[in-house]
Amino acid sequence: MKRCISLIFLILVCFVLQTSVFTHIRLSNIMPNLLVILVSASGFMYGRKYGMFVGVICGGLIDLIYGEIIGVSIFIYVIIGYINGFANKLYYKDDLSIPLFAVAVSDLLYGMLYYICHFLLRSRFDILFYIIHIMIPEMIYTVAVGIVIYKILQWLEDRLYPQQEVPLAKGDKSY
Amino acid sequence: MRKKTKITIDPKYVLVVILILCLVLGVVSYRFADKMQPVRSVAGSLITPMQKGINSIGSNLAKQLDYLTTMRKTVDENKKLKEEIAELSAENKLLQQDKYELENFRKLYDLDEQYAGYPKVAARVISGDRNNWNKEFVIDKGTEDGIRKNMNVMAGDGLVGIVIEANKSYAKVRSIIDDNSNIYGTVLKHSENCIITGNLKLMSDGVIEVTGIKGDVKIEDGAEVVTSQISEKYLPGILIGYVRDIKKDSSNITQTGYLSPVVDFSSLSMVFVITKVKDSAELEEMLK
Repeated sequence: MKRCISLIFLILVCFVLQTSVFTHIRLSNIMPNLLVILVSASGFMYGRKYGMFVGVICGGLIDLIYGEIIGVSIFIYVIIGYINGFANKLYYKDDLSIPLFAVAVSDLLYGMLYYICHFLLRSRFDILFYIIHIMIPEMIYTVAVGIVIYKILQWLEDRLYPQQEVPLAKGDKSY
Repeated sequence: MRKKTKITIDPKYVLVVILILCLVLGVVSYRFADKMQPVRSVAGSLITPMQKGINSIGSNLAKQLDYLTTMRKTVDENKKLKEEIAELSAENKLLQQDKYELENFRKLYDLDEQYAGYPKVAARVISGDRNNWNKEFVIDKGTEDGIRKNMNVMAGDGLVGIVIEANKSYAKVRSIIDDNSNIYGTVLKHSENCIITGNLKLMSDGVIEVTGIKGDVKIEDGAEVVTSQISEKYLPGILIGYVRDIKKDSSNITQTGYLSPVVDFSSLSMVFVITKVKDSAELEEMLK
């Protein structure tokens, strides 16, 4: 429950940041996708269910405020959250390389799905252009920002669920 | 002792349920777009105040960053600019001649009067796009300030886009450089109709696409394009931009080219909304 509330709060913060701050500080006209990081990281850290939970909220928020048809973004984000949930088994607290790789793949997946849902269906076929000029730069930028957000998530997790001490001796009273 | 009676469902089934829900939601929101409006409004009125606050921080940050980067560039630029001044002053003389011509044409079209005649409301841009694929933004005026769907949005003296959704306290605008945007335009000098399409691919070059110009018309670079009379949603006579590189299509029937918009979309902060909707339904009734 605590985790859900903190995640919703984080989603709100990331959403507002992405739409109002990062649009101003684009690098060569590309901005990172904070929500993908959040979905990917929560799927990766907490499992498929949390991934989908965050995906539904992120997608729903975007669809309600920006989208014309409700459901498209939810679809994209839920799939990302779900797939990242599978990698939960690989979750190791001190390792940063796998989660960042997951973020990179997730962002590419987001780009591909978005391209299919919004561009391919309107017969914009030049997929290579979109991969080189939008998806890959966005991926790199997203991974860079991902490091920060991932660390914030871990810090939050430590604060919310402090690690319990494991009793070693049999007669330990605290257990 | 507390007994745990938690029901666990395989995430697989949850995913399937959500995906089906997405499909249903999509169909419902498409079919009953009007009835979904209140739901959107609620979500929007929650988020937009936050965006409004944060946005000023963002734009300030951008300004600072701009300042740093421009400092370095200024020295180089200064040299280049000096050379350019010489070139431009020569060009300017030529353009001045064109200007007289243009003014005559404007009078011909009664453009000046129309521009002034449209009632306008100023609005602030409070949030940009949600990702790298779209060029839509949100402004801080809504139905409370008399903004309705399909109203035209301008900045300076050029067309920015159209209101695609008006909520109580905010409205969503699709700019003309969005990949989804299609506008009927008129090349002013030749009164030739054309279609102006936003294109993500061309965005980095700062241009958008112009198609459907009649094949036998010769249009020189820099010709002005305004919104057309025959457009369904755009009021006539709003300046969109200048065409260039018009080439004949392989079919030889139409011509295609590029258009550079007059509005600088990278730094939009204030826009004007024309509070007058082109009512094509009214027109149709009159024709009946």
